[in-house]
Amino acid sequence: MTGNPVDCTVKSTVALQIGDVVSDSFRPGVYITDVVFGEPVNIQEISFKNSYTAFLTVRVLRKEAGSEDGSTKWVTCVRNHCLMANPHTEEGSQDYFSIYRQQMLTQPDNVTTVRLIQRQPSSVWLNFNIEEIKIYPLVHEDSERDVPSWLSTITPVEEPLDLNGLPDPDEVSSSIQQMWALTEIMQSSQTSASIGRFDVDGSYDINLLSYT
Amino acid sequence: MAEKRRSGGGTVMPDSKSVKSESDKEFLSQAGVGVLLRDALLKLVEARSEDPIGFLAEHFSNLASESESGPVGGGGGDGGEPQENTVEEQQQLSRALWHLSLAHHSQRSAFNNNIRLAYDLLTQCGSIQRVPGGVQGRIYTEMLQCLCSEGGLSGTTAAPLLRRIRCHDYEAVPFELFRQGVQTCTAFADYIRKSQCLYAAVASRPERPAERSLCRAVLATLEEALDTSHGADSARFLEASAKISPAKLAQAMADVRGAGEQQEGPTMDAREFEDAAAALFIARVRVVI
Repeated sequence: MTGNPVDCTVKSTVALQIGDVVSDSFRPGVYITDVVFGEPVNIQEISFKNSYTAFLTVRVLRKEAGSEDGSTKWVTCVRNHCLMANPHTEEGSQDYFSIYRQQMLTQPDNVTTVRLIQRQPSSVWLNFNIEEIKIYPLVHEDSERDVPSWLSTITPVEEPLDLNGLPDPDEVSSSIQQMWALTEIMQSSQTSASIGRFDVDGSYDINLLSYT
Repeated sequence: MAEKRRSGGGTVMPDSKSVKSESDKEFLSQAGVGVLLRDALLKLVEARSEDPIGFLAEHFSNLASESESGPVGGGGGDGGEPQENTVEEQQQLSRALWHLSLAHHSQRSAFNNNIRLAYDLLTQCGSIQRVPGGVQGRIYTEMLQCLCSEGGLSGTTAAPLLRRIRCHDYEAVPFELFRQGVQTCTAFADYIRKSQCLYAAVASRPERPAERSLCRAVLATLEEALDTSHGADSARFLEASAKISPAKLAQAMADVRGAGEQQEGPTMDAREFEDAAAALFIARVRVVI
């Protein structure tokens, strides 16, 4: 039902820190990961594997409908979604999560970029991240399978046909059905057995002929 | 006095009776009659013919001629007179045909058993040069012709079918091909009978021939159903059966009638209808190569 994930580029994670990234030895508590799409997508589901992230906020960059290209807007879809019940303990730290369209605050349609803001307030963990990010697009139910044409014509026509003077369709149909069945029986009993009328024995093998 | 006599009689009788019954039982088991009767009854139940006595008579006469010609047949193979062989051949052929007539082709396992019996019978018979590896082509073709005529098919109806599946005189017919040929002929006989019923249904008035447009429409729906070729078997059957449902047929016939008036159009006679229907069947028979 979810179908195949959309191709996307996951940018490298950026840490939000006060001060210089290189010199300060404080470990950051917030990481930001951007996921970029080639073309706008309607998102059905975002799934990922957690690695010690406590809270997740999802923001999407949406192309505004009704306006010309280039006009985009950041909207928050999920605010502080709790992944770990207690940030200091293991529970939920390495679980797989899915965030569905129905859980989001706004409709994630025509999305070009997804920003995942990960927070881990606890100092217990050396590092935290989310991995294996997959984004599934919205699939329309009716385009999945084609109904065979004969199936749609099975229900009989409502208005009564004028059968004046016409032969009884039930009788005709039953005879035709039996004739069809007999032909099918004959066809299914056909094997590939042959008498070998046109078989040529080995002495006319192509390889041997080439030596003459 | 009476009691004495009775008891005297009573003591004498069981002795002779027991002696008799032992010899009776022994006699029956020695002759193998139990097995014989059981086989005969099994065959009768399988065939369920309307004339059980005639059936049993034929069964036993076949057995008798088989047992007496068994040792003779081997001797007659080399250097026997051609006349004798032809007579023997005809006997074997009629016996094989009798076996094939016992079960309808819809009773699968019984029919297959009978085909096997007939095949074994026919491989043994033959003219002086016995063909290894199967039934002689001439005998096979003759048997198919007899099957068709027994099924009520005229020579002209059966001719196109036989042209497709006949074999040359010198060819050896293997069992698979033999079975396929017999099944095709029996199915074709049923098919032609059904097409005659269909013509009667379409005509709907016994004294006048059916309208050509109606016949054409009906045969066209059959052809369309037969042409569903793609997909798995179950899907194919569902699709084909949807095409020949009563509603569909009523629609097809009403369309044809709606185009013309109620007046009589050109008609098609029974012969032509039968030939057209037969053509649909025969076109799907695989040619023997």
